[in-house]
Amino acid sequence: MAQDVDEFEFFLDKPWSDGLPVVTPTEARVQRMLQGTHCAPDEIVGHIPPMLEPATVRTVAIHALMAGCKPAYLPVVLGGLRLMLREEFNLNGVQGTMHGVAPLMIVNGPYAQHIGLHGGNGCFGPGFRANASIGRAIRLLLLNLGGGIPGVASATIFATPMRYTACLTENIADSPWESLAVSKDYAAHDNVITCAMVESPRLCFDDVSQDPTRLLTGLASSMTDLCSWNMHTRSDMIVAMGPQHAALCANAGFSRAEVHRRLCRMAGRKVRELKGGGNWRRERALAFPIQVDPDDDECFIPAIKDPYDLQLIVAGGWGPCTAICHGWSGGSRAVHGTYAV
Amino acid sequence: MADTLGFIDPTVGGERARIPLAPRPMDLAGATVGLLDNTKEQGDVILQTLGEMLQAHYGVARVVMRRKEHYSKPAATAIIEMMAREVHVAITAVGG
Repeated sequence: MAQDVDEFEFFLDKPWSDGLPVVTPTEARVQRMLQGTHCAPDEIVGHIPPMLEPATVRTVAIHALMAGCKPAYLPVVLGGLRLMLREEFNLNGVQGTMHGVAPLMIVNGPYAQHIGLHGGNGCFGPGFRANASIGRAIRLLLLNLGGGIPGVASATIFATPMRYTACLTENIADSPWESLAVSKDYAAHDNVITCAMVESPRLCFDDVSQDPTRLLTGLASSMTDLCSWNMHTRSDMIVAMGPQHAALCANAGFSRAEVHRRLCRMAGRKVRELKGGGNWRRERALAFPIQVDPDDDECFIPAIKDPYDLQLIVAGGWGPCTAICHGWSGGSRAVHGTYAV
Repeated sequence: MADTLGFIDPTVGGERARIPLAPRPMDLAGATVGLLDNTKEQGDVILQTLGEMLQAHYGVARVVMRRKEHYSKPAATAIIEMMAREVHVAITAVGG
């Protein structure tokens, strides 16, 4: 390596990073990273929009390395990227949008546990290498190969801290229910990733409710913000119930599916309220995939237009809190699938 | 360059496509103009007005208007091929 070049500064100057130093990709390190996958290095994983630069297994490995991944994390990065390149996920739209959503990866199955992905206390925050570096690897790929850079191909107004990293697993150890993947008919031993385009989590505290109906009333309220796109278009949402809130529901006999059903049914507002602020437009309501009457002030508009769009998971540590991530307006459908390890 | 320094350019992954821009006409007299509505609110109003003005003031012979399926997704191949076949100039608008 040339003595007069500081590699950390070099990668920041190019710019080939997210604004933080990256692990310098040398050939020896890349070869070690490639040990983490059975895939051929020159296999094309896909083309990352909007620049449509090809992502090969090798370039994904380079970015995983730069992000700080261990070789064992590479299958998750590859699996996540393959899912995100599915047409229904509409990565092209998200890369350019004014909005500030990010593809959140929820990784279920034994391999997530094996590599130390975290779903408990502090799981949306710093301190967990697998969460931090897998999500960061995806972001570096979206920046360097997709061009999703503010001022280049991204028109994002604010972006989101979730664009540094957005990856977690569920807190299966403290969950009273089956995992998200199992709820989608995968086997418990399958290694599954679910991705949804969402905003940063907002935290919903409730240390008062002793019955699930009151608890879910509060959570449903947080799902219906007037300025959330969920109220004005078909959009994804993630509800990450803290294990304490999930236990409150489970102890009352509520299954995971029952909580999901109730949130879909309870979260919404009447046209009268929606007219009072936020993004309400009559023509937007007419474009919903469900029948509503935008001229009837008493008509109830649900935040979740299709039950498929609500991903209910159990995550976080013990305490009276649930995290809710609202979705994007631009027509992205959550994707899920198994990945090879 | 990065290679000579001993580390790797992460953006080099394979063949890159280069797509040249179509030549821009200097005169619209007698031309057919395609207008592509991206489906965002009022985009169609802007395009319709533009089409009328192009016909009234710039001698445009015909205006063809089409609508995308969704504003955040690329236009369907059929629309792009139709535009390529039938129009001399295509204009899109972003509503909102």
